[in-house]
Amino acid sequence: MPSDRQSYAGADRTSDRPTGFRNPWFQFVLNIIGVVIYELLLKAGAAATADPAKSWSWIGINALASPLTWLGIAVIIIDLVIWLYILKYIPLSIAFPLSRTVDALVPISCWLILKEAISPLRWCGIALVIIGLVVVAKPAAELEERL
Amino acid sequence: MSAIAIAIILVWLATFVSGQLLFKRAMDLSSKVGFRNRRTISTLGIGILVMTLSFCLNLGLLQRFDLSYLYPFQGSSIIIIAVLAAIILKETLTPRLIVGTLLIAAGVALVSMS
Repeated sequence: MPSDRQSYAGADRTSDRPTGFRNPWFQFVLNIIGVVIYELLLKAGAAATADPAKSWSWIGINALASPLTWLGIAVIIIDLVIWLYILKYIPLSIAFPLSRTVDALVPISCWLILKEAISPLRWCGIALVIIGLVVVAKPAAELEERL
Repeated sequence: MSAIAIAIILVWLATFVSGQLLFKRAMDLSSKVGFRNRRTISTLGIGILVMTLSFCLNLGLLQRFDLSYLYPFQGSSIIIIAVLAAIILKETLTPRLIVGTLLIAAGVALVSMS
């Protein structure tokens, strides 16, 4: 098994890495913000149109009746373009675990904005996710050094 | 949680993981053979189709469960994606990355159980 300092496959596009607004790590932050926004919009849109009595409602098509869902879809499309851009420069095995920042941010946002309850055990889980993110951030930082 | 709900969540996870791997493969291809190459476009197209299915299933699930309860299930895809990225995409998994990934997945599981 390779050490932390060995090279990451898929991180070979280093010489022409963009800077400023096009920096993949800056785009990464935008992507995470986008995920939090569209998840909240989709939940609000789905909740506004929920009709669990219909068997086909599992595929969620009736949620398209809500403008909030369409707004969420617009954010998803923008976020998808950003994510594809990120994947061009950062290995999936690093980008995806780091993107799980949303697993802490979404429940916290639901608690703050949608007034959903969060139990103490769930808070512990959120804390564990944050610790894991800190651990994963080290390989990401080493990748950045090579970039 | 009913059997159909579990089945839908599993299909949702499978489509989500597949879509992410296809996206990464498409971007790797775009770096090697260009974005307008047929292989790049077809890989990206299939990825978008698979992610669209995942999105629809996600909407259906959102109508039945709290977002803060449902969403962390997606976190289990972290381990699956990390392993498959190493196997299929030949990316490198360091011990630290593995530990961090497991911690995140454990945290997500804890959130899901609570």
